[in-house]
Amino acid sequence: MEKTMKKLSENILDKLSLDFLRNQVLKNAYGNDDTVIAKLDPRVLIVWYLFFGLVPWFSGNVLFLAGCFILVAATTILARVAGLVLFLFLLGVFSQTGYLFLVSLLFGGNAETVIPLLVLTLKVATVSLASITVFSGLDPDRLSNGLMWFGCPEKLSFSISYAYRMLPMLMEEFQNVLLSYRLRGKAPESSGFIGKVKYLIYEVQIIVQAFYPLMLNTAKRSRTTVEALEIRGYRYAAANKKVKKMKLSSLKVTYDDMLFLAVSFLWMAIVFVVISYI
Amino acid sequence: MPRRRTESNLKPKAFYPELTYVLLEQDSELYKTAYIIVKKEKGIYVVMKREQATQSQKLMVFVLTMSLYGLATLFTELIPKFQVGIVEFSVEYFLFIPLVLGMLFDPLSAALGAATGELVFSEIMLGQFGGLGEVEKFITVTIGIYVAGRLVRNPKNQKMVGIAAMLGVIVQQFLGTMVDILKVQFAIEDFEAVEGLPEAVAVTEGFAFLNDVLFSGILFCLLPTLFLVPRLYGKIEPLLGMQPRTENTALSAIGVKTAIVCVIAFLGAIAAEFLAESGFELVSWEADWAESTGAMAVGMLIAAVAAVVVLVIMKKNAERAQMQK
Amino acid sequence: MNVLEVKDLSFTYPGADVPALNHIDLNIPKGDFIAIVGNNGCGKSTFCKVLNGLIPHFITGEFEGAVSVGGVDTQTVEIGDLAKIVGYVYQDFENQIVRPTVLDDASYACMNYAMPDYLERGRQALKNCGLEGKDEEYIWQLSGGQTHLLALAGAVSLEPEVLILDEPIAQLDPRHADLIYGILKDLNERLGKTIIVIEHHTEYIADYCKHVVLLKEGHVEWMLPAKEALDKVEVLQASNVFPPQVTLAAYYLREQGRLERDFVLPATIPEGKEVFGKLDFANPGIYEKKSKGREVLVSFKNVSVSYRTVKGEPKKIYEGLDLSLYKGEKIALIGSNGAGKSTMMKLMTGLVKPNKGEIFLKGIPVHETKPEHLSKYVSMVYQNPEDMFIKDSIEADIAYAMQVRSVDGWKEKTEGLLERFRLKELKNRDGRLLSGGQMRRASLAIGIVLGPEILLLDEPTANLDIATRKEIMKTLKDMEDVTDTVLIATHDMQLVAEWAERIIVLYQGKVVADGSRNEIFGNQEVVEKAGIRPPEIFTMGKLLHKDAFCYTVEEFLQSFV
Repeated sequence: MEKTMKKLSENILDKLSLDFLRNQVLKNAYGNDDTVIAKLDPRVLIVWYLFFGLVPWFSGNVLFLAGCFILVAATTILARVAGLVLFLFLLGVFSQTGYLFLVSLLFGGNAETVIPLLVLTLKVATVSLASITVFSGLDPDRLSNGLMWFGCPEKLSFSISYAYRMLPMLMEEFQNVLLSYRLRGKAPESSGFIGKVKYLIYEVQIIVQAFYPLMLNTAKRSRTTVEALEIRGYRYAAANKKVKKMKLSSLKVTYDDMLFLAVSFLWMAIVFVVISYI
Repeated sequence: MPRRRTESNLKPKAFYPELTYVLLEQDSELYKTAYIIVKKEKGIYVVMKREQATQSQKLMVFVLTMSLYGLATLFTELIPKFQVGIVEFSVEYFLFIPLVLGMLFDPLSAALGAATGELVFSEIMLGQFGGLGEVEKFITVTIGIYVAGRLVRNPKNQKMVGIAAMLGVIVQQFLGTMVDILKVQFAIEDFEAVEGLPEAVAVTEGFAFLNDVLFSGILFCLLPTLFLVPRLYGKIEPLLGMQPRTENTALSAIGVKTAIVCVIAFLGAIAAEFLAESGFELVSWEADWAESTGAMAVGMLIAAVAAVVVLVIMKKNAERAQMQK
Repeated sequence: MNVLEVKDLSFTYPGADVPALNHIDLNIPKGDFIAIVGNNGCGKSTFCKVLNGLIPHFITGEFEGAVSVGGVDTQTVEIGDLAKIVGYVYQDFENQIVRPTVLDDASYACMNYAMPDYLERGRQALKNCGLEGKDEEYIWQLSGGQTHLLALAGAVSLEPEVLILDEPIAQLDPRHADLIYGILKDLNERLGKTIIVIEHHTEYIADYCKHVVLLKEGHVEWMLPAKEALDKVEVLQASNVFPPQVTLAAYYLREQGRLERDFVLPATIPEGKEVFGKLDFANPGIYEKKSKGREVLVSFKNVSVSYRTVKGEPKKIYEGLDLSLYKGEKIALIGSNGAGKSTMMKLMTGLVKPNKGEIFLKGIPVHETKPEHLSKYVSMVYQNPEDMFIKDSIEADIAYAMQVRSVDGWKEKTEGLLERFRLKELKNRDGRLLSGGQMRRASLAIGIVLGPEILLLDEPTANLDIATRKEIMKTLKDMEDVTDTVLIATHDMQLVAEWAERIIVLYQGKVVADGSRNEIFGNQEVVEKAGIRPPEIFTMGKLLHKDAFCYTVEEFLQSFV
């Protein structure tokens, strides 16, 4: 029994290892580029997001919110988002409203508090899921083109695709440096409460210290990158409207995009019908 | 041989109508500062001093801060937080990274880089984008880092580095808390009517502020910044092809103008939220619309069904045309 | 017609005492293929950055003289306009790739310069650089060699007249190195591009380059046709440039009067065959290095490993691996990129756990022990030494592991290691700010701090010029009394031949050969299958006589009289 428990806890620890996190992040960023959602036009998805990311905040109708939630949840499933991201979503929603709920009970609230909090939960959940669908489901590079179409600064869209490119490299470097600390350093024993606290402090210390070598290594990297950007006409493009136009000409609204909007619209219409006849 | 002159008998700019050229001896401090261009003209070294980092150097600082802070926030976003009672122990605060870089390099680039990095790596890449809340975060982080970076004129001055680091956190946290309280107020209707809720929000937010400043602020901003700045100073700058910041090359102290710009930016952050939310309220969004007459809802339903049907047929046709081609 | 004209160029970095470039005069004709050689710090990279306008447009300093490329003065035009004339590939090329997918990056510059046919140009460049059909792949899916080709394609897409590459093959296995040079040759011959490489692999210079420029202390010593240049053995060696082994062998034979005096030294193996053809084989029975280990130190038992992948099934690296390493062995692990070398080392350090099977290190079950608890017994030095430096001085880095473990006399031991690795003067410097060779030495010192039973080195000679590589080999010999069992994963066959007693050849996750150097290099089948390139002098010897096993120039001189 004890052995299985030990095995189990080790397993969970392994799941939370840096390697696992890295894999999940990469999966989320690169692993779902062939889903229905990823193939949609980024502008259509952004418009769609603007609706489901904003409107729920201003409605108090439980049915309407539930309708939005179901639709958005369905799209999230279509987008095949990495498990960890969904887990974080659940954790986030729970802690956000569950936390408030407990505290307000403490200050003498009663059952009436439940309904506003249910409304709040639905709002938070719908809005978060909408953003997960759009931002996780869409290839970041396409997303950056979409944002640019809506007039977001060039620097932002550059940053998105640069991050998309550099992420695997940066993570590997971070992992290597942390490993150097782990292998050469000596972690305190992690048994008992005090031990656990000490271990935690040690871990945090290491992560902070790891940024010393990382900053220097990344500085070297940034220099080459910026020199190369300079040669490759980055600044030239930023000042030239024609380039932006060329870049954005690859965006095309297809029947699939229209269909996606129409189906969303259909679902919301059904919700309205239900609301008005109840 | 360059003409020998000491720095003290540097000719005042007024002697030179073109203003930007100054004679200088080669091994003087000013010569060695980063942001100058030296040209040899007619056997004399001519120095053109520039006030600020060049555009490319700013871009380097931006890319550097963005990558590092982005990476850090990506992990903190992924690591679940744990709570002891209502004290939240979170490592969400890696603000020391942009603080350090803002003190060593161009503060504005570091500030914008940090805000963008967080937005891009953790919010967009992971899909944790929180809508309007992110606008506020973006602006408060930028202001916090910028103020701290501008305050430090000499990174060797430990006391100043410490004060600036804490001040940066306090500014950022305080602005964030204010917006948070307002946000909850707007999200829940009849905020005042729910018993205990306003107090609860005020207490939790206030506590979170203190918790963040005292816990995260000291542990994750003050101490790491004090640890890193002296170690990196003089080492990291040459890697970017720059010279370390000194009293001479630092931007001048924060003026009234900068402060006003910061305040306006913050007001802008709040205004954006107020405007968006109250704007919708004016249309009295939910009540009337959601409970509109059944006929209208049915009309919508029919329109939607028609749209879907038409689109499916059109798509099929288009595909067939493609096949025939 | 000259595509490049440099007149009396001098450049000094701000704050530096001596100029990095000192009165350079140089003309390069259109369509040339030029190698720039010289020792570390002679100004090679600075010179190339002047040619593409990064200096003085981007890197400021004291600039004198004039540089014109393709008829334009670099000082008078924008850096962007220069990019259309001169393409540049960095030594750390992966940082110059800024877009997430292949075609996107190849066409990036063309798009930025608002060329309407940017995608077409990108595709064409990819085709010219041998990356056809990889359009949609992510950068991280490419191998090191392919990434380098992509960086080249990014430069080629603008159709510049001149291409400059800073040490293009430093990190590549021989197959990829050949591929890169093949493509450069094609660009040079078919498209008439002028190619300039900074290179210290003289075998490649002999095979591909037309001219050689020797830089010394910031000025041009000479520019000569490649053949004549490689003939100047003494001058080159004085600048730490080592001519091909075939050339060196002929040089010594000539100096010793064993060949007639007046002939041009051979630079390639076919040329060598003509010159050495008259020599007789004198089978001197060259000492064969063989492993004498008997006591098992590490054993892999039926080990299977696979990696999580971003998409689809996990990737299998090893299946049913059985292998034993003995105490006191000097083992070289060779095989092309992706054959599983790093995975094997990570298995031994406990960083990667096998899905199946067992690994024992001195009886410790590695497969169920945390890496932290193994660091006393096994130590690994990364390929990138910068990742080994976690403190702000190499002294602190060396002391760290002993200090936190309160090892007795850690201060004295640190002193001793600094002394042994000739790092005393540098002890307060940050590791990553040192030169390539110093960095390696420091990383080796860090690796043996805890006196591990087995030391694992990942590519210890990558990115180093030959002089520094020799120095590292010497350091490896010096360490023998601290750690006697060493395993090196490498592409550097000279290192393998001169150092290893046992060679393990990996191919697609399997051990395809395991034996002494004669057994491996002499086995034509294995050599071809695993893409091994024996040292040039070995191939030369084999070509002259089938029983010749010579791994160094000295051994060659003994074998043939």
